Amino acid sequence: MGGVGPMVVVILIFLLSSFLGVPPVAIAEEYTFDVSEIEKKPYHIGGYAELRPVLFGLDRDASLYKLRFYNRDEGSTLKEYDAALQLEGSLEKGIARLFVRTNTDYRNSYLGEDFKTTVYEGFLSLKPSSYLTIDIGKKTLKWGKGYAWNPVAFVDRPKDPDEPELSLEGFIVASADYIKSFHEGPLKTVSFTPVLLPVYEHVNEPFGDINQLNFAGKLYLLLYDTDIDFMLLVGGSKPARYGVDFSKNITTNFEIHGEFAFIKDYEKKIMGGGGDLMEKEYDAASYLAGIRYLTEKDTTYIIEYYKNGTGFTETEMTDYLSFIDNGYNAYVISGSDTLLKKALNVTSGNYGKPNPARNYVYLRASRKDPFDILYFTPSITWICNVDDRSFSLSPEFLYTGIKNLDLRLRTSVLRGAGSSEFGEKQNDYKVELRARYYF
Amino acid sequence: MMKIFFALIALLFAIPAYAIDGTAFLKQVDRNLNPKSYESYRKLINVEPDGRKKEYTLFTVKKGVDKVASIFLAPASEKGRSTLRLGDNMWFYIPNVGKPIRITSLQSVVGGVFNNADILQLDYAAEYNVEKMEQNGNEYLLYLKAKTKTVAYDRLKLYAEGKKQLPVKIECLTEANMLIKTIYFKDVKDFGGGIVRPSVIETDSPLYKGYKSVMIFAKLKARGFKDEAFTLTFMPNLESLR
Repeated sequence: MGGVGPMVVVILIFLLSSFLGVPPVAIAEEYTFDVSEIEKKPYHIGGYAELRPVLFGLDRDASLYKLRFYNRDEGSTLKEYDAALQLEGSLEKGIARLFVRTNTDYRNSYLGEDFKTTVYEGFLSLKPSSYLTIDIGKKTLKWGKGYAWNPVAFVDRPKDPDEPELSLEGFIVASADYIKSFHEGPLKTVSFTPVLLPVYEHVNEPFGDINQLNFAGKLYLLLYDTDIDFMLLVGGSKPARYGVDFSKNITTNFEIHGEFAFIKDYEKKIMGGGGDLMEKEYDAASYLAGIRYLTEKDTTYIIEYYKNGTGFTETEMTDYLSFIDNGYNAYVISGSDTLLKKALNVTSGNYGKPNPARNYVYLRASRKDPFDILYFTPSITWICNVDDRSFSLSPEFLYTGIKNLDLRLRTSVLRGAGSSEFGEKQNDYKVELRARYYF
Repeated sequence: MMKIFFALIALLFAIPAYAIDGTAFLKQVDRNLNPKSYESYRKLINVEPDGRKKEYTLFTVKKGVDKVASIFLAPASEKGRSTLRLGDNMWFYIPNVGKPIRITSLQSVVGGVFNNADILQLDYAAEYNVEKMEQNGNEYLLYLKAKTKTVAYDRLKLYAEGKKQLPVKIECLTEANMLIKTIYFKDVKDFGGGIVRPSVIETDSPLYKGYKSVMIFAKLKARGFKDEAFTLTFMPNLESLR
């Protein structure tokens, strides 16, 4: 671990002591607003620094534990010290704006130290009129209305339903937004977003097949007080796909949303129980339906059902997990890890994706300012694989009462029967403290 | 019998007469508070019972009776977040999340006593009908009833000063007349361009005993905007209007 672990603990103690010992400021009956605070500058630099110690409770009987730890014994718990620095800067002149966001992750885990800096976004934005914006560079587009999942996010990297609000790395694109508003009638706004996404060697390679220029587009309507988007992606890097989403406030405290995506000739890599790798091609339909509801006592519920048409069936998941178990047994008997390495190869970006199965339910309940504690938000998140009834349950406490500092304590408990998604994850539980300082 | 008949007739005509006067008065209160289309800077301060404070600075633009948008300028943790309201529709954009999400009027993006409807306030006359108006010397009391179920407060009691036609205090009530919060208008200031209005709005609530939220206005001035500035697609670019 080196000297980093204790250093992290010292910094956390300092942050916590600041939190507990903030001196009260006298209430001034005369309020001031210094106009110099609001002077606009042509540039902006900001971001956040984050410390995140994590404790993992390992499930030594789980398939994914065997896959990752078959040749090492790390005990029943793992400690990890993570840190992140996210920097963003912008420069504005006339109709042009340059924006850059970088992310640096530091991880000190059982695998040693790891340090990685990634440019999440970096693009030039031109705004010749209030109707039109043109962006060129690396950018995230974040399509979709779902909170935990977005089957229609055709030009984004997949988000983690455990951390749906984290910023993501974008792709290099050329895009535009054309907006038109209307005074009369049920149609209030129309906007069109065409996107060109090239995929070549060293350019957007993770997106799909190289040497292709892909086109994506989104048409947005605000019609009868409902947000509606139609989107498509064609090209050659990925099978063509088409989608629609919507969102609407029903009352002052109740919102509904949904997404539907159709992928033509989707290709899925499946591992049979015997380890044979197969490709299956079919038309995949995914959809999501969700609500957001605020009670009189300020509790917000987000409930979503997600049908992942590109996901693995219960049998396919069981075959994959059985193959790992067979591979582990072979390793114990013969010392050969050939089968386990084969399983590892199909895990990354495939079975190892967040929520790789077919049917999920997401429930998040968060209560704002309970017990008269302002800026304190306890919440609980439940993600359930409907097919095998396994789930993760994550209670968390968030405090944002100190200027520019967020403190979050989060625990996740994973439960499920043998051969179930969450039951076979490498961890039984996780405890994480996150201190994030914005500047 | 005839007396009762004439009294009833008089009442029938008297109620609409009050409503017309009240509506005109309310519209004038709206215009005195803000030009039809304007920009402003606001500081929101949440004050806890022990005196601790948390401050937010916003740039706000409004057009017509139903379009208003704000972007947070400070503190650093909130910078770049923006809110948009088009009639009953409200959205919140967080740069990290990268897409606007729908929010509801009773939620609060800043915590404290002000909710989203208070922060993205439309004209009172756009959301409320005047049921009754009472006069006591230079003081007026308007009883307002929400036009639809989607308005944050079902009833308002608006206390106004008659000469300047500016609000002094507003009590926000539920349908069952339960007090949710009281909003106080203070420190009338000349912002220039003929805008003379309270520069400080304070609120407290029996639901948040001991807590108080304050809104301070600066650089409030009339300004025209294109409708396209009040769209979901434009939310990430709101700061370019400054």
